[in-house]
Order: sequence, then C-alpha cells, then structure tokens
Amino acid sequence: MLLTKRHERMKPGEFKRVLFLFSLCCVLFFVYLYWQQSTSIDTSRIIYSYRHTLSKQKKTHPPQWTWQCINQRCERRHIKGAIPVVSLSTCSMLCGSTQLWPQPTGPVTLGSRAVTFNHQQLELETAASEPARSLLQQSFMAFNSNVISLVQSKDYLERSTDIKRLVVRVNIAQHNVVKLKLDTSESYTLVVKPKDDEVIANITAKTFFGARHGLETLSQLIWWDDYDKTGMLKILKSASVKDNPIFPYRGLMIDTARNYMSVESIRRVLDGMAASKLNVFHWHITDSQSFPLVSYRVPQLAKTGAYGPDMIYTPEDVRALVEFARIRGIRVILEVDTPAHAGNGWTWGPQEGLGELAVCVNERPWSLYCGEPPCGQLNPENVNVYDILEKIYRDLLELTEERELFHIGGDEVNLECWAQHLQKSTTIMNYTDLHDLWGDFTLKALKRLEAANNGNKVPLVIMWSSNLSKRPYVNKYLDKNNIVVQSWGASQWPDTPDLIADGYRVILSHVDAWYLDCGFGRWRETGEAACDPYRPWQTVYNHRPWQQLHLNKRQILGGEACLWSEQFDESSLDARLWPRAAAFAERVWSDPQLDTTTFTIQEDVYTRLNTHRDRMISRGLGAEALWPTWCVQNPGMCL
Amino acid sequence: MGKAYLVLMGILLCSKLYESASNSLWRWKCNQSAGACTRVSGDVDATLYPSLETCRLVCGTAGGLWPQPTVGTVLSDGLFQFSLSSLKFEFASEDNDVTTYLKEIADLFNKTLSSISASNCSNTDNTVTISIVVLTNNMDLNWKTDEGYNLEILTAGKENSVKISANTIFGARHALETVSQLIELFSNNNGEVCHVIVDEAKISDAPNYNHRGLLLDTARNFLSISSIKKHVDGMAHSKLNVLHWHITDSQSFPLELPTLPNMTKYGAYSDSKIYHPTDIAELISYAKLRGVRIIIEIDAPSHAGNGWQWGPDAGLGDLSVCINQQPWRSFCIQPPCGQLNPVNSNLYKVLKDLYSDVINMLPKGEVFHMGGDEVYIPCWNSTPEIIAYLGDKPRTTETFLDLWSDYQAQALEAFDSAVGNTNTPIILWTSHLTEVSVIEKYLSKTRYVIQTWVPAADTLPQNLLDLGYQIIASTKDTWYLDHGFWGNTVYHNWRVVYNNKIPTASGTLGGEVCMWGELVDDSSVESRVWPRAAAAAERLWSNPKTNADQAERRFYRHRERLVSRGINAEALTPRWCYQNEGEC
Repeated sequence: MLLTKRHERMKPGEFKRVLFLFSLCCVLFFVYLYWQQSTSIDTSRIIYSYRHTLSKQKKTHPPQWTWQCINQRCERRHIKGAIPVVSLSTCSMLCGSTQLWPQPTGPVTLGSRAVTFNHQQLELETAASEPARSLLQQSFMAFNSNVISLVQSKDYLERSTDIKRLVVRVNIAQHNVVKLKLDTSESYTLVVKPKDDEVIANITAKTFFGARHGLETLSQLIWWDDYDKTGMLKILKSASVKDNPIFPYRGLMIDTARNYMSVESIRRVLDGMAASKLNVFHWHITDSQSFPLVSYRVPQLAKTGAYGPDMIYTPEDVRALVEFARIRGIRVILEVDTPAHAGNGWTWGPQEGLGELAVCVNERPWSLYCGEPPCGQLNPENVNVYDILEKIYRDLLELTEERELFHIGGDEVNLECWAQHLQKSTTIMNYTDLHDLWGDFTLKALKRLEAANNGNKVPLVIMWSSNLSKRPYVNKYLDKNNIVVQSWGASQWPDTPDLIADGYRVILSHVDAWYLDCGFGRWRETGEAACDPYRPWQTVYNHRPWQQLHLNKRQILGGEACLWSEQFDESSLDARLWPRAAAFAERVWSDPQLDTTTFTIQEDVYTRLNTHRDRMISRGLGAEALWPTWCVQNPGMCL
Repeated sequence: MGKAYLVLMGILLCSKLYESASNSLWRWKCNQSAGACTRVSGDVDATLYPSLETCRLVCGTAGGLWPQPTVGTVLSDGLFQFSLSSLKFEFASEDNDVTTYLKEIADLFNKTLSSISASNCSNTDNTVTISIVVLTNNMDLNWKTDEGYNLEILTAGKENSVKISANTIFGARHALETVSQLIELFSNNNGEVCHVIVDEAKISDAPNYNHRGLLLDTARNFLSISSIKKHVDGMAHSKLNVLHWHITDSQSFPLELPTLPNMTKYGAYSDSKIYHPTDIAELISYAKLRGVRIIIEIDAPSHAGNGWQWGPDAGLGDLSVCINQQPWRSFCIQPPCGQLNPVNSNLYKVLKDLYSDVINMLPKGEVFHMGGDEVYIPCWNSTPEIIAYLGDKPRTTETFLDLWSDYQAQALEAFDSAVGNTNTPIILWTSHLTEVSVIEKYLSKTRYVIQTWVPAADTLPQNLLDLGYQIIASTKDTWYLDHGFWGNTVYHNWRVVYNNKIPTASGTLGGEVCMWGELVDDSSVESRVWPRAAAAAERLWSNPKTNADQAERRFYRHRERLVSRGINAEALTPRWCYQNEGEC
C-alpha cells in the first residue's frame, strides 16, 4: 500500500532502488509501530489559525486550459467538450517530475493520487524532547505558514475535504543537537501514507536539522489546486523520500555594507534559503563603505560608520535573525572584513587618543590604494587595533553563538596603502616584503580571536582567498588544520587546485559561476566592470568544479554563492537572488550529474525549478521569472 | 534672503537634532562652482545643509531636477520652510475641463509630497501659493502638443509664490513635477518634519523630442494593472510621455475584445490574466493625468499565435499558421511559433473587428502600432495553403516580401475602414520591408512612422530620415532593457542608456526604451526598468551635449526620489558614493 507507484515514472535502474526502499520501508514501518506505541502518551498537537492575505483577484471567467499528462509531460489543452479539467499544478505534481527542489539524493517514490485537505487539519505529533522539541515546534509553525501561503481563497475552509486530519509525526533521535555543525546529520526520511480518513506524514531524522528539511520536503508535496471548485489544498496520498545532502556547507553570502538591506529583507533571504535547503548565511556585514553593525563593546564603529541612524543592525536585530535562521536550519556567520575593506567607521581613533585605527580612509585617487572607492585598511602597527578586534570578535561570537566556524575576511589587502602610510615608521622598516606584515597582522588577529573565544581556538576559521593564501605565504601563515580558504577566484585560476594540493580545506565561491552580482556593467565612471557578464541560472547550476577540475571532494566543505551589493539594494535583492541561488542550492545539495560536452540541462530541471520559483513567489519572495509564462504552461516546449 | 534661512538651519542643527543622533554626525556643504554637495562632520557652520537632499535641491545649475530643464534654470541657494497644509493652488483658467485637470494634478501633487513625509509640521505662518495659468484649452496629448512651461518662484516675507504658465495642461503638469522636485523634507528644531522649497527660482523648459517612450511587453509574461501604473508613475516623475504597450505576442493574447471574445479565451494565460476594456480605459485616464499617452501595439503578421487558434472551429479557416509548431526552431525565432495567414481573406474581416474594438478603447485619432517585425519566411514557406496560393510564383524571398506587404496593405485597409478615415499614423518596426532599398516600394511615408531597433552604429535611422520617413529610435544596443540576461547580449547600465544620442533631424519624433518581457514579470520588472528608463528620459527631454558623468549627482538623487515615491528602482552604486558626491 505504501508503495503504490507508477511504473511509467520509473527510469532504468530505479527498480533496484525501489526494492531497497521497500525493505527500508518495512523496517521503518516496524520502527513506526514501535514508536507509535511509545508516543501515544506524550503527543503534542499544534494547530494554527488561518492567517494569510488573499489575493484580490476575482475570477470572472471559467478556466480555459486543462492539462493532460502525456509521456511524463503535462500538455496544455483548450477546454472543449468533456475533457477532464485538470489544473497545471495538479498535473505537474502527478506527472513525471517530482516537483521537489533540491532533488533528494536518496530514493523517491511518489504516489499518483492526491487528496484534499485544509490547513486547519494539520497536526504535529512528536515525542522529541527538549531542546530539540521547541525548535521543531517553531519549525512546524514556519511549515504551517508555508502551507497557508499557497491558499488563494478563504472560502475553501467551508468545503469538505477528503481527509479529516493531516498528521505530521516527527521522530528525532538526537534531542540535544540544536546547533548545526559540519558533521551534523541533515538526513531525513519522509513517508506519507493514508490511514482511514487521515494522511500520516512520518518524518524520521537523526537531528532536528534533518527533520526540518523533511518538513520542507513535505511542504513541497502540497499544492494549491485552483480548479477544484473554489480552489483546494492538496497533498500526495502516498510518498516516500530519503534524502541527505552531498555537501555539509551550503552557503549564501549577502553584503549589507555597500548598500543597506532592512532586517525584514534579510528574513526573506533566510526564507528562500530554507526553501532551498541552504544552511549557512554568511553575512558580510561591514566594509570600507559603511559599518552598520552596532557592536556592544565598540559602539563608535556604527555611530560613525553607518549610512544613517536608521541604517543599522542592533545586537537585538542580529540575535533575532540568528534565531529565525536556526529554526530554518540555517546558521549565521558574521564577517567583519579586515584588514582591508575597513574604512568608514574606523576614523574615530585620534579623537579618543587611540591613534589612527585605519589608514587610507577615503583616500584619493582611490585606484592607487584600493580596489574600489572608498579606500580604507586597518593600521597594523597600532596595538589598539588588535584590542578593538578582540572586542568585536567577542561580540560576533556572542551574537551568533557560532563557535565552530568564524570568518575573518582577509581579502584584497592593498600593500601600497600600507607602504605609503607607514613610510616613516620603524615597523615597516622590518619588512622587506609587506606580505609578511599582512601575515603577521593575520596571526595577531587569530590570537585575538582565540582570546575572544575564551582561550579556545575556533576550529575552522574561514578566510577569503588572496595573495596570502597563495604559495609561498600560505604555508607560512595559514595553518591548514585551522584555516579554511573561501576560494573566490575564477575557476580557471590555479588557486583552488593549489590549495587542495597543499592540503587545505576550501569553500568554493568561484567568481565566474557563483557571483550573483555580476553583469551590471561598471558602476563608476572610470575603471572596469568588475565581473561581467551576468551568470544566468544555467551557468550557476552547471558549475561543478570538483568534476571539471578533478578536485578532491573530501577537502571541499561545500560552496557559497555570493551577492555583493554595489549595484543593488533591497529593492531588487529578491530578484537578484532567486531563483539563481536555488539553482546553486541543488548543485551543493544533490550535486546532479553534469554532461561536460553539451552542458545540456534536462527538461525536468526546468520544470522543477519553475515550480520552485512559483513556490517562492507564493511565500512572498520576489523571485525572477525563468521564461515566458507560455513556457511554464507548456513544459518542454521552449527547450 | 537665502542666507538667512541657512543661518537658521545652522542654529537648528546644533540643538536637538544633534542629541537625538539622527543624521547629526554629517552635514552637507554645497560647493557651487563644482556643483557638488560634500559630507562634512564636526563643527557647525551656517552654510551647511542638514541633509544631502536639501543640499542637492540647490547645488549646481540644475539642483536635483530630473530631467534637467532645457531653456533656462536659475535656482537660489535658500530654502523656505512650510507646512503642506499651508500650500494653496490658484487656477486662472476659465475652461472647465482644463480646471478639472488642474485640480486633479494638484491633488496628485499633494499626494506625492505627503506620501514621502510623516508630516507633523506646525509651521503654519509660512504660506506657499502655486498659481497656474494655462493658455489653451487643448486636452490632447500627441506629437504636436506643446509640453513647455515657465516657472517662477519668489519669496516675500512669509509668503512664497510659485507661478506656472504653460500653453497646455501637459506643460502645466510637467511644471508641477518640476516644483515637486524643488521641495524636500526637513527636520526642524521642534522635532518636527516640515517641507522646504527653493525660495527663488526661474525655469523655462520644453522637451527636445515629443515622443519619449517606454515599451512594456505584457504578452511574454503578464503584468498586473497595478504594476503598469507604477511604470506610469515613474514615467510621470521623469517626464516620459508615451507608454508603448506591446500587449500581445505569439505567447499570449491578454487583451479582451468585446466582439472577439475568442482572442482571450484561446490566448490568455488564465482567466485572471486578462486586460478588460474597463482596465484599459482606467489606465488611459490614469496615464493622462500623469502626462502619458498609451499607444497600443498588436504585433502582426508575425508574433501572433496563441489567441488565433479558433479560426477553423468558427468556420473561418486558419487565421494564423504554425501556431505552437514543433520543432520551433524550424518555424520561428522564439517559441511558441505563430504567424498570421495572409492568404485567408477571413483574416482581414477579423482584423477589422479587432481594430475597431481597440480603436473604441483609445482617444480619438490616437496613433496605432501594427508591429510588423520578424516575419519568419520558413513558416509561410512550409504552409500548404500559402504554397498553393502562390501557385507558380517562385518561392523567393522577394515573393514572400510581396506577400507580406500585401498583408500590410490589407491590414491598413481594415484599420482605415474600422476608424472611418485614412489619417491615423501607423507605427511599424524596422524589418525586411523597411530596408532602404525597398521601403518606398512597400510603405508610404505619409502613413507610416518607422520605429528603428538597430544598433547605434547602424545608419538605417539616418537613411530613413533622408528618405523622408519619420522615425522613433529604440537603439538596440543601448535602449533594450532586457539585454544582459540572455544569449550574448550585454546589460546596458544607466550610463550607456544616457549616453545614447539619437538623430536630431526633425523627422525624429523621439525614442523609446524597450522592456521585452521574456524574463521579467511583476516581481522584477520595476527594478529592471527603473531607474534606467529615467536616464533615457533626460536624453529625450533635455538631450544634453554632455554625458552621464555630468548627470551623475542628479541621477543618483532621482533614483532615491523614485524609491521614495514607491517605485522599486534599482540601486546604482554603494550608498557611500551617493552620500559623497564625486568621490567614486
């Protein structure tokens, strides 16, 4: 019963997986029976009330299109005569593609029948104990909101439904795991099956984080059928999914220093990440342009460095976002970039008797002292700088409660800036190669980080790739057991293979594929366009450097898509990010095969990504269109 | 006069504002010779402005105005503080329609200003009176409309007066737009937010081109009426005056036609993605109030597929051929395929009905865009009905061009018979029919205006002008806003858009930036269009000899203005560059 499946959907080789799945399901079934017993006493139920703003569009005409599943593809037909009327969403869910994004890595079996329900029938049952329990409950609330976001007509609550209850049973093995680490299991098994007048969705996971992904997948098996009278929520009657990500680090970087983004807009970023199962939000929160982060210990930084009094992030803002992220299976890494990319916000030293904390700040002509205006670089010979760094680090560690990973920036140091400004000092005389000054700065900063972390080394310190991460400096200054290099150079550059060969662990952010800010021309009157052209989602998706460059996957913690904000702010944040960051997400979660001769992307990917884009739209994200609506309504016809 | 207010502002600064740590750290100084506002911190000085926005109002020859006025601009550096509730309008016109329009734009003006303020201003002693004189009662916006205006602002004691005179209501509307750009918010020492207006100014202004357009494509992806209104708002704030509505294409036909309901029944993406005649009427009046006319394009004979499938069922034969045919690459240049069937005489009857429905939605005499681009000969050349029609004729390119021009002639006839005269100007895209060697054979220069969409280096626009045709320029490699996201196209940022200069010969009616809709819908179309369309707006209104570098400060300001007026215009630069003029 559990395995009512449609044979036409099976691809060659799937039979073995199905057999495996079958045995697995048997095991699960017994586990389930056992667990059913044990939880019958302690069952928590959460039911949430209806809250959703409905679209104001009123229907004036009957629908004119119906979709038929023919050869695993939905074909649009004009409604004439007695053709059954099927909406595109329902046809898509029951035809060929899984509609899941990212595609699960384990076996997936989806039933061919759907049942109607309403969101008031959703119930959570779990035996999970604290601390995982509360997190799960909040995560279930987010799941509820996602389901409710699909609803387009409030009248639907008055309609009868096929089932009485939709029960989500969550079983978490490790109740104490509430902080995501690189070795945290994110795997889950989801089994949906009907039982009398109920549908039971069983989610089994080692940790809360796996369970959360299971909830996300479950939400993607639910859709709104516009054609079912006034519209109705539907769920697959039966399904089973086993899933586990390929990479433990699936990051997204947003820069809020070049242009400020509101806290609300960052919440939308996190919602999109959760929908796509990305798990690290790397927040590039300061740069030479501005310092919007209000530091408890060093309030002068934001006071002098923010663009305006309302363009700041208070410690409360950050903490709330960290919690918001955690509920969505995401950890937050705050990056205060140093020693370069630090200028505005660091100018108050002399007034407070601390000397110049940063040099070259807003120096002209900028092209001599930095990569883009305004310039600014910390003063490596001022001891007060390191004291301040330690204070900032303390703040960052406390705000994020993240003690496994730390990002210290470290990119694009301009040695000419230091050479000019430290000309007369004795320090500089000691260096024949200023890379050593940079290296020493880094070592000192790392010491301060350790001190800020109560004397403990943060296990993995991330640094941007730079000259310091190149030979010969890399081996001299960067401890491969402690430093992880975020490699952002072009994939054709030797950076990444060299680092891997030298035994370093890396996070890949190749500019030629995963820089989502590129393609908007030069924003200054002079100088080059930073990184044209635009990377369409296909480029993002088809980047598989471990295959293309034959890299040792074990040293690759994962990847990170980067969105620098010189040429956008929150008015176009959503569209810049989505669906491209989702395309990236499938690369690092599922790592689908890549045909390196044709680079052809399968029709199924287009269909699923489009569904995912629509899903994000209904969740309130301004994701960009992939193509004309005609192509959405006629799957496979625009390839 | 002005200096007195600056002194007042200096005093205000060192009091409460400073403690409340609002923008207190920074103040702005205008360097008039460089026209730059500079951010300064520390000591309080009487010649400082409390915000970049107030400094920008008066700094440099055109202050923060966009587009910059053409004939003459004199701005003082003083500001006059007032409360919006103490702003009054006076209209000198006797004419009822004119006065009604003026009242409406006055309301709009108030709405625009109040929407950007949380005004709790208690300063009611100072008054502002805006008096408007319109010299004619012409209510039509077309290529001959005089959109010029004169504007004078004077301050005497506690009274500030703004005097506007214009030949038409549209000139008066542009003048009010300009006035709104001479006003900013200002935090005073009572913790209140008041408005300030430049205390003395004299501006004389008129556009260089009469056709200043934005093309929106609602066929590839549907755009909601509220999204289209946002664009009209942006156009009004930038003095663009033509919304070219590419409303149908081979993908969809969302325009509901009363006599041809099948067009949307077979052509709309869904029952909610339809423009009803009432929507169109509402949009036309919404646009008129904002100085914008709407030109409808029903693209044909190519780019016409979905919506046209019902011919056989209605006993009319194939009205369009190759509809949704696969493999599409053999029958069109973009899926789905579809091209009208020129040999089916029923087509022209249907076209007449179609045109007459569209004409009924538009103001009398409004020009019409017939499309006419990208006919793909292999489609017609593979259609048995057309091959049979051609009989013994050699199936050469010339034969098909003749067939196409026959179609065009009959379509024009259908249009003329629908409208009841032969005067309506028709716009067509450049195509094989408009090549210099053949255009005179196919298209009359008295009836057709040609919209060129060739790259800047192409001589076609000039050649057509030399032949005596009127043109509208949509320079493909600078004014196509969809570029940069598909194929080998390159994104044209605002500098490229701004620097595009189009022919100045009198046959050039103007130009349009084009937002083709394959990759945008409601969620991103605003930020794709704005603020870049505004860069073209200054090119078309002011056509300055200078380039983008000279316009940067005003343009950055205009982008912020668009955002504050509710348009999701994209950021152009790190905010630091906006706050530190000329430093990037």
